[in-house]
This record gives sequence, C-alpha cells and structure tokens, in this order.
Amino acid sequence: MNVVTRKLIAKELYVNRWFVGGGAISAVVSVLIAATSKTGFNIGALTWLTTIIATGVMLGIYGIMNERKEHSLQFVLSLPLSVGDYVLAKMLGLMACFLIVWLAGSAAAMTLVFGMQAVPDGVGPYVVLLCVFMLANFAVVLCGALHAQSEALTSAVVIITNMGVSIFMFTIGPLPGISQSMWGPTPAWNSTFWTVLGCELAVLVVAFTLPFFLAARRRDFL
Amino acid sequence: MTNHKHLSMRGVRKNYRFFTLDDLTLELEPGQVMGFVGPNGAGKSTTLRLAIGLIAPDAGEIRVLGHDIPKNQAAAKRDVGFVSAEMRLFPHATLGWHMDFMKSIYPEWDGGYAATLVKRFNLRTEQNARSLSLGEHVKATLLLALARRPKLLILDEPTTGLDPVARHEVISEFMDVLRDESRSILFSSHNTVDVERISDTIAFIDRGRIVECSNKEDFLDRWRRIQVQLPPGTALPDLPNIVHRQIDGHFVTLTTNQFSEGLQALIGPHVTGIQRMNLEEIFVANVMHHREARGQ
Amino acid sequence: MYSGINISQTDARPMYLQILEQIRARVAAGDWPPGKELPSIRALAAALNVSVITIKRAYLDLESEGVIVTRHGKGSFVADVNGLAGELTEAKLDEHLNEAAALGRQLGLSEDELAARLRRAQRNLEKK
Repeated sequence: MNVVTRKLIAKELYVNRWFVGGGAISAVVSVLIAATSKTGFNIGALTWLTTIIATGVMLGIYGIMNERKEHSLQFVLSLPLSVGDYVLAKMLGLMACFLIVWLAGSAAAMTLVFGMQAVPDGVGPYVVLLCVFMLANFAVVLCGALHAQSEALTSAVVIITNMGVSIFMFTIGPLPGISQSMWGPTPAWNSTFWTVLGCELAVLVVAFTLPFFLAARRRDFL
Repeated sequence: MTNHKHLSMRGVRKNYRFFTLDDLTLELEPGQVMGFVGPNGAGKSTTLRLAIGLIAPDAGEIRVLGHDIPKNQAAAKRDVGFVSAEMRLFPHATLGWHMDFMKSIYPEWDGGYAATLVKRFNLRTEQNARSLSLGEHVKATLLLALARRPKLLILDEPTTGLDPVARHEVISEFMDVLRDESRSILFSSHNTVDVERISDTIAFIDRGRIVECSNKEDFLDRWRRIQVQLPPGTALPDLPNIVHRQIDGHFVTLTTNQFSEGLQALIGPHVTGIQRMNLEEIFVANVMHHREARGQ
Repeated sequence: MYSGINISQTDARPMYLQILEQIRARVAAGDWPPGKELPSIRALAAALNVSVITIKRAYLDLESEGVIVTRHGKGSFVADVNGLAGELTEAKLDEHLNEAAALGRQLGLSEDELAARLRRAQRNLEKK
C-alpha cells in the first residue's frame, strides 16, 4: 500500500476523532441505559440506533461531501497518489472510523442481549441482523457519496439509506422466521436468519468493492 | 546529461459543454519559469489541472518529468508541487499537523526551510486551517509545496489574496527555487507585473487556445505603441502587423506586435514617439485584437 | 554586493537595460574593479527577483560591449582592460550628446544656439 494511502487513512481517523470517540462512548452508554429498566431499554435502544446512524451520516457528509466542497480534495489529489489510491484511502479510512463506533455499539448490544437475564436471548438474531444491516448501509452510503457528483445527490443517498433502517425494522422484524422466536429464551439461527444475513453481506461486499471498479473508469476528479 | 523536458503537452484537447481547450501545445524546460496569462475563462486552470492529472484530456499527450499523465500521475507528483488559489487544507487540522503530514510522505521535506518559511510568511503552526484567511491559506499551501523542494512547481494564481509584502516574499521564494537550474516553475497569474518580472517564457491563452508562447524579452521587444502626427493631406501607407489603429484627427496611435526598424522606416518621418508596452498593455491589446478578428 | 542594484518596473526602460546600465556605472566608477567576479546569472536573478533570461541578456550585451568577459565554466568577470572606466564614461557622454543633437534638430536650433545652451549648462555646474 502506498505510504500516502496509509497516511490518509490515519488522517481520516485523526480528523474524525471527535465523532468517532463520541459516537463509541454514546453507543456504549446507550446500552448501559437500556440495561436499567423497561423505559430505559426503549430510550437506550433508540439512542443506540440514533448514534450509529448519525455517525454514518456525519462520516458520509463530512468525510466526503465536505472535502469536495471545501476544496481540500485538490490538496489531497496534489499528493503522490493515483485515483485508486485515493478511493482506497477514503473507503478504508472512513470505514475504520465507522467500525470503531459500530464495534463498540455491537459488542455492547451483544453483551446486553446474551449477558443480561432480563433481555431474552431470542432477540439475538434480530440484533445481529440489525447491526450487520447498519454496516452494509454505511458501505452503500460511502459508495454513493464517492461517486455522486453533486451535493444534492450525496445528501439523497445519505437520507434514503438511513430511511432504510426504519424500513428494515418494519419488514425484517415481522418476518415469521424472526418474530416467532424474538421474545423467546433461545436464539433461532434459522434459514430466514442466514438468508437475510447473506443478503446483507452481499450488499456489503458489493458496496465496498464497487468504488474500485468505478474509480478505474473515472477520468476527471474535479 | 539527458535533458528531459519538465512538462510537455502536445495537441491536448478537452471538451466541456460551454468551452473547449483545443490543440494545446506547451513545453517547459528545466531551469525555466513560464508565466501563463490569459483572460478569465480562457482555460488556464484547466490546462494546469490537465498537467497535474486532475482531469484527463480527450486527445493529445501529456508528459510531466518524463511520466505519462494521467496514467503515472502518482510517480510524477512525487516531484511536482501543485498549488492552486482555491485549494484548501484539511479544515480541522493545524498548519503544524500539515507540515508533519508532508514530512511523513516526502522524504525530501526540509524542516528547517519550512520553519523559516513559517516566519517569513507570518504564519502560525498552531493555527487551524479553517481559521486562515484567503491570503494565509495561499501562503500555507505554498509553504507546504516549497519546503519539499520539488523539481517542478505548477502554480495556479499563487499570489491571490496576498498583500504587496507577502507577494514580494513569495516571489522571492520562487526566484530562490531558480538558483537550481534543474528546477522549474509554471505559474498562471493575473498579476502581469509579477509575470513580466520573473518569467523566462510567456504563454498567452485566449478562449482555449495558446495564441502566443515565446521568450519574454523577445515578446516585450516586439510590441510597441507608435505615435504619429500626420501633416494635413498626408495619409499613412499600408502597414503590416498593425494590431490596433487609433485615429484622432491628425494624430494616429498605432499598436504593433512585430516592431522592427523596417516598420519604423515604412511609417515614415512623422513618428513623434515610440513606446514600449508593459505586459498588461500587451495583454489587453492582444485580447482586443483577437476579439475584433472574431467580429465581437 | 549586488543589493544596490534596483530594477523599477515603472521605468520606461526595459529591465535588462536598467541592469546593464547599473553594472556599467559601477564599473565606470571603479566600484567594480577590473577582474572582479560578477555574480552568477542565477544568483543575480534570485537576488533581484528578475527572470534569468533578463540577466542573461544584460550579461550578453555587457560582454559584446567589452565591459565584461565570460569564461566558460568559470563565470563572468569585469574586463581587465586599462582605462575601461574612462572609456565607459566617454561612451556615455557621446550618447547624451547625440541625443542632445537630435533634440536640438527637433526644436529647430542652429549649431551655435545648441553650443550656447551647452555653455550655459557648464556654467551652471561651476556655480554649484
């Protein structure tokens, strides 16, 4: 990997340190709140969801759109790297930022589900799917933002994909394979689960690799 | 010793919806300063961006320091410093952070020189990029490029937003670069005074085409304003290379872009004055001339 | 050493000519004695913030006038010709006299009228 790419990934983590740190802490704290009581659970779950979604949105907006708008893109492109190097640095850098928050949030959530008696283990599969959904969601946001030529388009990508979380919760939750055992004591790692998981991972892989193919064809960066 | 041109653009074309850069040919030798001038929208920034690989040409060849652009731009950019007046640094990082960033990427980074430039350009390393004024931003990005001591500097309006003192400091640093005959500079500017002063070659672009590209001294030697006072009843003979003719009764002012003693003789004995023109006057006369030729 | 040379871009005379004249003046005055090494073209360009090509032109003209000599690979030196300083000043005088003659003709002065004007100028000098 080009040393410039490595440095740019480090830079991504550095400039987004407040979002990332704050987001990770907020996600963990939300889970702690969720652990307190029934009302606490609702509040905590909501803030947990909001934190992870908001982190994705912020990284998409500040990470990519603003760089273009604030003309620091020209500065980056004046460095000794190729298009492919730039795309790689952006994808890996922003993904690394998101992963920190996502890992903190997901680990905390998993601990809550499988560690606390009050929370039925049956909800485990649903939570796993939700977490992976948000990761795939972010990959799509990144992919879209890297290729959108205008601010409006980038904003649209960000907004629409985040509406997707609500859509997910309303469609996946009621699926028979999931809802049947959601409130039970044992998690059901059934075919519905694996199918949905498979789809999510496929989307994740495609969204993550598409920029590299598209970048190879892109001729103008400004 | 191989004398690789530092920049070579041949037959380059770039189409945009409302503008086309056509048949662009430009060459820069090591040790040279090329000043690139032209009206707004003529294609200066487009040309410089093509040179650095930010945009790709629709036709033609571009080579920078021997590398094919845009294919091998990563390798070329190791030794090229590109600064544009609209370029911005990462807003939430300090100048000091940027200097460390550059140092980690470029082994040739000269920390001592960078520190000197911070003082000379009146900047502060602890200052966040987003709080820099336009002029300070320009100076900061120039600093980051200069301290790497790149072989080739490609600069798009590098004196934008600079007060006269800062401009003087910046121009001095550019000229210091030229102490080394293996380094070169290509810069575009509206500041014709600076271009006239430090350029070895002047390239003039208008509406997407290079209309002039020559040695500065020759260029300035060719243009003249000639004042003629005609006695009543006389007329001027047919004269070649007159770019502009202004008639006020018996007083005629001719502008020529190919002055010679032969031309002076042709005009005859009624010449009352011959003036050299500065680059700004030539610039305006040239553009007006081309507009008239196009019937505008 | 060369910090005293100044180029004005508002002067009607071209930059190379200003440099040329200022170097000539220093040689004529003896400030730059015969045999003295001139700054390299690039060093002078950087010191004066003027293009290399302009300095080159000035040096080439100075060399063709015999004011300096350039030794390939070694640099440029003030020409070691006896009485060069005096020669330069005389060349300058001739230049001014030629100009005065041309102006006199434009004004329609006769040879005597022009000579009278010169005498007046000399007397003004003596008064000072």
